[in-house]
Amino acid sequence: MRRLLALIVSIVLVAAAPVLRAQNPLTATLSVSATVTARAKLTLSSASMTFPDADPDTVPLVPASGGALTITAKGRTMLGTTVTLVVLASSDLQSGLDTIAANQLAWTATGAGFVGGTMNRTTAQTVGSWVSSGQWIGTQSYALTNSWNYSTGTYTTTLTYTLTAP
Amino acid sequence: MHRFSIDRLIGACVVAGVALAMAPAADAQLLDFSLTQASISFADADPDTTPSITAANVTVNYRVRQNGGGSWRITIMSGTDLISGGATIPISNVTWTAAPAPPFQPGTMSRSIAQTMASGAGNANPATTGTVVFHLANSWNYNVGVYSATFTFTLSAP
Repeated sequence: MRRLLALIVSIVLVAAAPVLRAQNPLTATLSVSATVTARAKLTLSSASMTFPDADPDTVPLVPASGGALTITAKGRTMLGTTVTLVVLASSDLQSGLDTIAANQLAWTATGAGFVGGTMNRTTAQTVGSWVSSGQWIGTQSYALTNSWNYSTGTYTTTLTYTLTAP
Repeated sequence: MHRFSIDRLIGACVVAGVALAMAPAADAQLLDFSLTQASISFADADPDTTPSITAANVTVNYRVRQNGGGSWRITIMSGTDLISGGATIPISNVTWTAAPAPPFQPGTMSRSIAQTMASGAGNANPATTGTVVFHLANSWNYNVGVYSATFTFTLSAP
């Protein structure tokens, strides 16, 4: 009787067993990674600019003869970190022993994140700042404060731009 | 004798059950599918000089049998965008090219809709291979990080 019961159970099990069809669909996975490191790139539309001679009474602010300087800044940084662009004069404007203070040079700016400012030869001044990675285009329009006090001469200095994407 | 017959019958039922459970049904398609690579990576590059970053080739191995005149399809979908902490790169910035075409075709990754990578009809037998090359559109907008995602390939013969 017990064996008969076992037989019945076996038949029921066979009848109830699921039919395993070939697996369809089949899947396979691929792990994908991408590495992005910090980098920065800065482009200025001109390597030099000139302020022509002018009458201080009629032209109190002498604009650069080449027009606005176009700046393209590109930076990759951590999410939420600030990318900064600063400028620093290497010295006052110099012509032999004569000088025009670097802070007589000022600029206005256009473009998202770009700001106006006044030149300094000791402390780098902010030209622009942006949060997280990206690329930004703006302009700087320089003007030199004119004065009867300036001695005649051809004055020069070097402006150094530094773009930092930490 | 009677007891012996019942024993044999029980044994036969068990064997038949196991065999039935393991064997594919006669009308089922037989599919084989694998990738030769488990992972790929996109290296860091300057977006100005390398606007599109190419990863190593991925070889797709597939075989379709007992499919009659039915169709088959290989699709791909990403589980997520490329993610690095809180930073993301939209997965739609990843595209692929593939050969041979047909049955393979190029496409753009999605994390919501499976995209068709290859399709055909009938069988693909013996086992056949395709080569897939993934490309990541490079951008200055990507934040620093090591991003990851998982792509799922699916072979189906509906």
